[in-house]
Amino acid sequence: MILNNLGSSLKESLRKLARSNKIDKRTAEELVKDIQRALLQADINVKLVMKLSNNIKKKAIKEEVIEGFDAREHISRVVYEELANILGRGIDLELKGQKIMMVGLQGSGKTTTTAKLAKYFQRKGLRPVVICADTFRPGAYEQLSQLCTANAIPFYGDKGNKDAVEIVKKGLKEKKDYDVKIIDTTGRHALEKELIAEMEDISKVLDPDHKFLVLDAAIGQEAEEQARAFDESIGITGVIITKLDGTAKGGGALSAVSETNSGIAFIGTGEKVGDIEKFDPEGFISRLVGMGDLKALMERVEESITPEDMGVEEILKGKFTLKEMYKQFQAINKMGPLKQIIQMIPFGGFGIDITDKDYNKTKNKLGRYKVIMDSMTDFELENPSILNGSRIRRVAVGSGSDTNEVKELIRYYRMMKKALGAFKGGKITGMPKNLMKMFGRQG
Amino acid sequence: MFKSLRDKFTSFKHSVGKAVHKKEEAEEIEVSSNIQISDLPTTKSSGPPTKLISTTTEEVTDAQKTPSLSIEKEKMKKKEKTKKVGLKDKAKTLILKREAILDEKDLAGPLWELEISLMEGNVALPVAEEIVSNVREDLIGKKKRIFSNTEEIVEDALKDSIKDVIRNDGPLFDEMISTGDKPVVILFVGVNGTGKTTTIAKVAKRLIDNDYSVVIASGDTYRAGAQEQIEIHAERLGLRLIKHQYGADPSAVIYDAVEHAKAKGKDVVLADTAGRMHTDANLMRELQKIKRINSPRLTIFVDEAIAGNDAVERAKQFNESIGIDGSILSKLDADARGGAAISIPYVTGKPIFFFGVGQRYEDLIVFDEDWLLGKIFGEE
Repeated sequence: MILNNLGSSLKESLRKLARSNKIDKRTAEELVKDIQRALLQADINVKLVMKLSNNIKKKAIKEEVIEGFDAREHISRVVYEELANILGRGIDLELKGQKIMMVGLQGSGKTTTTAKLAKYFQRKGLRPVVICADTFRPGAYEQLSQLCTANAIPFYGDKGNKDAVEIVKKGLKEKKDYDVKIIDTTGRHALEKELIAEMEDISKVLDPDHKFLVLDAAIGQEAEEQARAFDESIGITGVIITKLDGTAKGGGALSAVSETNSGIAFIGTGEKVGDIEKFDPEGFISRLVGMGDLKALMERVEESITPEDMGVEEILKGKFTLKEMYKQFQAINKMGPLKQIIQMIPFGGFGIDITDKDYNKTKNKLGRYKVIMDSMTDFELENPSILNGSRIRRVAVGSGSDTNEVKELIRYYRMMKKALGAFKGGKITGMPKNLMKMFGRQG
Repeated sequence: MFKSLRDKFTSFKHSVGKAVHKKEEAEEIEVSSNIQISDLPTTKSSGPPTKLISTTTEEVTDAQKTPSLSIEKEKMKKKEKTKKVGLKDKAKTLILKREAILDEKDLAGPLWELEISLMEGNVALPVAEEIVSNVREDLIGKKKRIFSNTEEIVEDALKDSIKDVIRNDGPLFDEMISTGDKPVVILFVGVNGTGKTTTIAKVAKRLIDNDYSVVIASGDTYRAGAQEQIEIHAERLGLRLIKHQYGADPSAVIYDAVEHAKAKGKDVVLADTAGRMHTDANLMRELQKIKRINSPRLTIFVDEAIAGNDAVERAKQFNESIGIDGSILSKLDADARGGAAISIPYVTGKPIFFFGVGQRYEDLIVFDEDWLLGKIFGEE
């Protein structure tokens, strides 16, 4: 999977952070070092890593930890934001007639990707044509024509003609009725001056809407320089990362994106023509930092939960009654299925293994608790201490449960209250964890 | 190539040097208070400054036989400039008596920088860590007289450490071809797009130039255009190509090529295979079958010099699942930093035979460790 080792290294380093609201300088420095390591192992450019880690250090120390988040979450948010910065925007590839030029180093996968891209447009209902302008590598013409024939993609090429510019001119003329024209070019690297000049000539004649730089996911520190050279020469509008079905983490390609100030358009994930995915920047970084889909979680929190929902005000004042707990249960429900939520929380649900069984048990318990609380009076909810044996019996009958379950709910409430008293702050994530622990023990 | 590594190492040497100098200065100050009491008398026994310094260096680091006098002199000059003349003799005395011992604290900063530089040079993280930890072990606790040449000590430690990582005691490529039964079968494997086919053409050219007769097996029966690609190379080199149709069993193609070589008395069979991801268990099993049927003399893993950390991962997995005898790194001309040349031998324990350095058939150069070290530490 994409960049997933980075996740575990980050997880490891973040685990070292105490669950506190403050981050001291030394801790931050150590953490940043670990993050640097993880990013470097993912092949992200060293200079970029340094810049990134400096920003992280600064932000981690200076910025106030947002209410409801602890230091760990705060830092992962900072890391996320910084990564989002390098990754840039997604590529808005309109589904309309256009010209696309594919460029890249030798063996990065341009030809295969060209065919994949044509297939992509075909599936979207457009009429693509592929033009082979790789006049250098032996077998390039055959490779593309065979791929196109096998996948019913219109193809233009002129075998034996060594003039790529002329081929492009002729191809455009002959295939002008097609919507999307994708031009495959010879693999080249930044130091091959003649080939770079040829690429510029093709670009001038073609005047493409998109110039995609195709990069192997395995490319290392060179990615940045190569990308810069391509960008300076013709102006790159997007990057396509190939061969992500192996173990390569694609950090080199990420650096290229930052260098060209573009975005990732597609990723290639296999040898078949269909193995291409439109790129989603948010999901990508989430996978990159292995922190669940923090952004989605944050969005969902923002969309669905207000501080009133969580009873934050009251809790901060030291008030935590069954009413507040009820509010929290509701807030969690508002965000969607519990399992999804917990998966979106960074670091794989706090490093404890949560099985489907646990999820279901917890979900059921939450549901039952709500029903039980629905059978209580407002006064009881506000003042849980008055729940005596007779009230408990009444609540149990009213909610269709038994007295043991009601007592269990009260025990849980006391536990929560104690926990909240310990770190007054109304943690969003504190609760599911405690829930899990509690039920884990019982189960 | 290797330029950035070279620059980085130079800066590493300087920063350790700096750390040590700071320490030296600190100790000088500390000692200067009791100079008159105990240290002055030894001045008499000391000879000309430069000579003395060079001997102390030899005492301290046995491995270092040729301390560079010119650098010593330069450093002396610098020091002299910054100190009053009257202090000069006292300082010298101190130098003879005092030693700086490198400890963890002195080295932490520079070593971290070194690790980063290695990674910047595309050396994979685990390999960079290994090198750095070797250098650390080598340097920490090393007694070093003040003014002895810190930078050389550091460079030696670094060189030794890299040498340890890339050492190869096995036979060279040419030797393996010239000895043993004919035909010598060489199997080329690797992930997609690393340059297997082009590399085969280059190796073929080299073998032809060395008067071997060569036949090529078109074992990539999967990728579109693969057969035509190698066919063109074979034609240009005037070589016989054995091929089947697309979709054919590559083991059978290579088997036929070996039979052909036996019948015609050819020396070498170069067998191409389809690029594959090391994570694809079925395709790796296909390679195992190819090996089982054709028992190649050499299995060569082809990877690109521009690959980053993943080079280690795939080299390891290819080596573990089919067993390789060595590697060839392609695309070194693409401004590659060359870190893969250190990483791959480290994880596989197998040598690198060649580097591919361009698009022409002649663009294949022989790898050996001295060449690599020269490239990294030399002046270019």
